Amino acid sequence: MRILRACHEMAIPAVCVYSEVDRTALHVRLAEEAYLIGPAASRESYLRIDKLIDVAKRSGCDAVHPGYGFLAENPALPRACSDAGITFIGPSAETMEIMGSKTAGKQLARRAEVPTVPGTDDPNENPDEVQSLARAMGYPVVLKAVAGGGGKGMRVVPEDAAFASAWRDASSEALNAFGDLRVFLEKYLDSPRHIEIQIFADSHGRVVSLGERECSIQRRHQKVIEEAPSTVVTPELRRKMGEAAVRLARAGGYVNAGTVEFLVDANLNFYFLEVNTRLQVEHPVTEQVTGLDLVKLQIAIAAGHRLPFAWETISPRGHAMEVRLYAEDPDNNFFPCPGKIIARRIATGPGIRLDEGVYRGWTVPMEYDPLLSKLIAWGNSREETIARLRRALDEYTITGIRTNVSLFRRILAEPEFLKGEIHTRWLDQLLSRPRPPAVTPRAGTEAAAAIAAAYWESIQSNSMEAPSAETASRWKQEGRRQQVDRQP
Amino acid sequence: MKFEVQLDSITGTTKHVVDLEKTGSSYKVLLDGEPVDADVILAAPNAVSVILNGAAFDIHIAPTLDGTYKLQTGPHEFRADVRDPRAWRGKKAGALEAEGRQQLIAPMPGKVIRLLVSAGDQVEAGQGILVIEAMKMQNELRSPKTGKLERLHAKEGQAVNAGDILAWIE
Repeated sequence: MRILRACHEMAIPAVCVYSEVDRTALHVRLAEEAYLIGPAASRESYLRIDKLIDVAKRSGCDAVHPGYGFLAENPALPRACSDAGITFIGPSAETMEIMGSKTAGKQLARRAEVPTVPGTDDPNENPDEVQSLARAMGYPVVLKAVAGGGGKGMRVVPEDAAFASAWRDASSEALNAFGDLRVFLEKYLDSPRHIEIQIFADSHGRVVSLGERECSIQRRHQKVIEEAPSTVVTPELRRKMGEAAVRLARAGGYVNAGTVEFLVDANLNFYFLEVNTRLQVEHPVTEQVTGLDLVKLQIAIAAGHRLPFAWETISPRGHAMEVRLYAEDPDNNFFPCPGKIIARRIATGPGIRLDEGVYRGWTVPMEYDPLLSKLIAWGNSREETIARLRRALDEYTITGIRTNVSLFRRILAEPEFLKGEIHTRWLDQLLSRPRPPAVTPRAGTEAAAAIAAAYWESIQSNSMEAPSAETASRWKQEGRRQQVDRQP
Repeated sequence: MKFEVQLDSITGTTKHVVDLEKTGSSYKVLLDGEPVDADVILAAPNAVSVILNGAAFDIHIAPTLDGTYKLQTGPHEFRADVRDPRAWRGKKAGALEAEGRQQLIAPMPGKVIRLLVSAGDQVEAGQGILVIEAMKMQNELRSPKTGKLERLHAKEGQAVNAGDILAWIE
């Protein structure tokens, strides 16, 4: 839907593909052309490159945008596109292969002098050597068994004095559990933040950074809230991280939109994590603070246009925050709750953007990720943005399915979140604590609810007709018409 | 028309008697026998607006499977069981929950990937019984009551449909 909107703004007729269960999806209804490519199971529809290319050829497409799911990071798609003579809106297959891989990406980062999480490259079984490496690196460090996994053979060493016992534990555990006592050494990042840099590169050698997004609010490593700018990133740090990301993109010959993810420790040292070789779900946050349309920019770059600005000119304006509204039940372990939307009221008004393709009467399919809407707020300050987001969450009502709206109300009320004191494990820790007592409804809420329920029952049982269904009487309409038509 | 309304929310359960009498295009409302200044309209599909002594409430209403209604106003949620004392309808299923023999029902299609207890075990309310994988997410299904796991119909690796009965708890 996001891509379709960009196409329509650029007066580009759009072709979309859909699976059997997505027949009623909004983008299928609004595209110029739509083609069925198979059943619900994505490996027989959305993951079938041959079918995609076939539709693209049949409908005479000039270019293919992969969105941000399914095949968006699969190098086989750009390869198939170039074989078929169709432009792929994204980086080349070769770039995707190198930068999408964690190990190759890390090697590339080192070559481009982008900091990675410090650690030993080769496993070691000599405690004295490892200890001197640890001293050189600075504590805390973590010892990780080569063959380890699931926390076994792993020890965090907070200080030098604790090294000997930690080594003993880690290596004996590793030997017992995996029969291999070799251990890696890595710098331990206590409560790191996840901060990523949006980059853009055109095919004429210009690479720019559009600043950072803070995505530290995660549940089980899935991003839940994203914001820009980050509360800890100074203009100086923004410049340093941006330059590092640009160096990496240049080293990998990157073209089009990409995201370089970093972990940032308490001392604001940043370490390369990985590259996402596609548009991110959270891209609206960057759009709101830069005023750019990233999808239109992607299409322009794929068409061979130059980036129209230098990166020094881009600094964030105001503050933006996005929440991901899912059809899931926060009171039941975030169990997915797809189903039919009976009624809803959307959030609008100053500083609010709602990116979605859902509507009343639509059934959320159970086959795919149950992301409903992305609710994005923009304000002059972080405080104003949060106030707008809270207000919008109260306006946003969806009936018929459960959503995770209450999770956001809870997060947006937490003092630590309001101060920006967050890290990647913060939300999981918050959710393991008991819920705060429920806010008491204002006086009269319960009485109003009882009256509403009784009223609803009465109009359901048809014993009284629904007043809203009444149309004004013909006599009244005629009277009003005569009033309007009367000569002055 | 007179209705008995039972409201359940996280803060507790309350009961009210609401009497609605249509006078022209509006209603005269009696709440627990007392006349109240209330204006109630259907503002949009499934959305009722109530103005009670000047205070405005926008309430969204959806039916649920057990015949009760789910009400939402701002961050607050209620479950309402509405009865017309003159009607011949019996008690609704919702009122009987959490007592007697309980079923564990698959809330959506998926695959049973792990059994956490076996038939005959004593289980606590809220204790995990099995894990279902649906849409790449693993989700634990919990016991609705304390009691004995009488029967367990699910096997590891089994595909289930929404509504399938997976276990009985006595």
